[in-house]
Amino acid sequence: MPTDTKRVRGPDVSQSPSLFVCQPADGVSPQGPRADGRRRDQVDVRPVFVRCGLVSQAKGSAYIEAGNTKLMCCVYGPRETERKDETDMKCGRLTTDMRFAPFSCPERGSWIQGSQEKDFSTMLQESLQPAVCLHKYPRSQIEVNMMVLENSGSVLAHAITCASLALADAGIEMYDLVLGCSLRQNGASYVADPTSAEENDRGPDQSRNQGSLTVAFLPSLNQISGLQSDGEMSEDTLTAGVRTCIEGCYKLYPLVQQVLSRCVSRAACAPPPR
Amino acid sequence: MQQARRAGDHTNMVFHFLLHGHIMHTTSWFLFFPGEKLCSAEDCVLGTGVYLRHGYIHSSLAGYVVRKSEGKELPMISVVRGTELQLLPDVGAIVTCKVTSINPRFAKVHILKVGSTSLKDHFKGTIRKEDVRATEKDKVEIYKSFRPGDIVLAKVMSLGNVESSYLLTTAENELGVVVAHSESGAVMVPISWSEMQCPLTYAKELRKVARVQAKHLEA
Amino acid sequence: MMAAVEVSEAEKVYILHGIRDDLRVDGRGCEDYRHMEIETDVVSNTDGSAKVTLGHTVVLVGIKTEIGKPRPMVPNEGYLEFFVDCSANATPEFEGRGGEELGTELSNTLYRVFNNKHSIDLKRLCISPGEHCWVLYVDVLLLQCDGNLYDAMSIAIKAALFNTKIPKVFISSDDEGGKDIELSDDPYDCMRLNVENVPCIVTLCKVGHRHIVDATLQEKACSVASLIMSVTHKGTVTCTRKVGGGSLDPESIFEMTEAGKRVGKALHAPLMKLLEQEESLGKKQQKVGFFG
Repeated sequence: MPTDTKRVRGPDVSQSPSLFVCQPADGVSPQGPRADGRRRDQVDVRPVFVRCGLVSQAKGSAYIEAGNTKLMCCVYGPRETERKDETDMKCGRLTTDMRFAPFSCPERGSWIQGSQEKDFSTMLQESLQPAVCLHKYPRSQIEVNMMVLENSGSVLAHAITCASLALADAGIEMYDLVLGCSLRQNGASYVADPTSAEENDRGPDQSRNQGSLTVAFLPSLNQISGLQSDGEMSEDTLTAGVRTCIEGCYKLYPLVQQVLSRCVSRAACAPPPR
Repeated sequence: MQQARRAGDHTNMVFHFLLHGHIMHTTSWFLFFPGEKLCSAEDCVLGTGVYLRHGYIHSSLAGYVVRKSEGKELPMISVVRGTELQLLPDVGAIVTCKVTSINPRFAKVHILKVGSTSLKDHFKGTIRKEDVRATEKDKVEIYKSFRPGDIVLAKVMSLGNVESSYLLTTAENELGVVVAHSESGAVMVPISWSEMQCPLTYAKELRKVARVQAKHLEA
Repeated sequence: MMAAVEVSEAEKVYILHGIRDDLRVDGRGCEDYRHMEIETDVVSNTDGSAKVTLGHTVVLVGIKTEIGKPRPMVPNEGYLEFFVDCSANATPEFEGRGGEELGTELSNTLYRVFNNKHSIDLKRLCISPGEHCWVLYVDVLLLQCDGNLYDAMSIAIKAALFNTKIPKVFISSDDEGGKDIELSDDPYDCMRLNVENVPCIVTLCKVGHRHIVDATLQEKACSVASLIMSVTHKGTVTCTRKVGGGSLDPESIFEMTEAGKRVGKALHAPLMKLLEQEESLGKKQQKVGFFG
């Protein structure tokens, strides 16, 4: 466990009181309605609040809020690459750094980037890179910094949407916007855009079809730029899940366009009417 | 203030097009987003902020569409954002840079501007001894051409390789030192292609002086 | 990121056209693996070990068991820890911290692959709930790197888990209610793991309009994106992940998952047969050893 000597650390051994809360014996029933009133087995995503261009120092920035999940993203660059290798001469480099604020999850996290955050950063990078015209930025790097302010489920999916908006806001040339959507399979039923309670709900023990899935989708080009799943799913469930996630991404598209257009028309001096 | 300047730029643009009546310039009110299809590749020529995919031109930026047509040729289609352009030093571009350090073989510079656009982040560049001037290359001495702190106009020769930074050249009459300070701190006046003079002490210092073109001057 | 090879445009076209016609440079079909060698019990200081050679990719896995404290969230389960070391032996690029990035990526993927209830019965690793459990440290070492690290690594892990012998322990409580752990005196008295449900990873590389299994470095250089899938013997998918800088259209993803399931499912039966065969030979088996 890496420690940061520059910060005041808590006691060596401490545990969150939430651990001592009695777990409900049977968890959330897989048939009933969801805690927030959304429907199961429907592409019922949470309403999303998105804004662009909030951080004046950054080249581009975006903020997204879905339920209690809150994320902020800043894009810097293109600037000169620090670490160089042969491929950087022809095309640029996209670096991503995703971090969870220590208070973002029910349990306190560390200020040091853990392996889970590194994993998220890699997946974010892999989902965004196919969409960015990196060949237009030789010798330079574009930095995407993502901060999770509050984690209430589907963090990666919303991080992908948020980062692509920040890139568009920064005026980085892209082949397409990238939208993300998550899904949690629980036995025969699924929930789209799960909350963290739904994500951690392990359900009845015997169920073989149980897992999470996140898809990053390029809506205009009809391409999947990121796919990641864990848990246990049959291949059919996985395929159906990917289709559902694509549908979920399309639901997000009009809103993202609207936000971006507002942001562009505010930043740009709008051309005079003819 | 910013707004006023932009508006000013715009009237200049309009004026420009009035002068050259044959240039048509249409800007649509419609916004386009990255990935959206603009038109077939047969109808337009690619400008900036667009890319080609399967015979169609798509937007690669969120911005407004500009169609520019000259004479009978196909119009050029671009997507622009009102905010400053995303520019990177490219081969052949004229850049404004500041000398940061010199040694007998080369001068190191920071690239500040590409054309007339300021860069948000500074890129490093190198002017090698043999790229300082076009003639008598073997007699060039870096310390007689540049000093740290000089503002230099240069042209990008290549993007360099893994080890080196951008390679720049000043081997043209129009390129070289444009602003230099003397030892007493005053801005020097160019007196020949190779000398500048301090207005306070009248001391002469050697530089590779640029013959600044009117078109490079900014009001 | 990985030991890259230079592939010229002409070579690329050659490989692409070959794959289009289901003919790969080394004569394989699109869904064929290279020659694979598996050997278990290769390092005596471990509780379980295996070495897998796939083409020129060599992966060594050692498993050490230790007694630890169960995670507070799951007091009645033990756990697995993965660590992947990309040594500078495999390629000079991994020297110093060079292999760290790839190593973290690989070990993070392994955590995801085993992030389900059925791969390993973690409840069996529990010694006394809330107090003691077995922790399996799975250390993966890349000795040679010639593409398809994921698949070789997962097969080696399955073989090493099969080979793992966990000593039997007993809990005795004294008069004051304190508990003691006693290790069995008989070194042959040990617990084995059921590895039937341990998944294997199949990496599918999209090259041109087709996808291939077990890509060499040259073939990988021609591919824009690949899909990693971990598949159990029943065909259940425990982890998928798209890697690489390109994107894939949904239809080809569906084709690839279908192929991945088929290939992955077929991998298990011969692997188990081989492992059991080797086990039955016991010490009589002639060890090949390293690079033998």
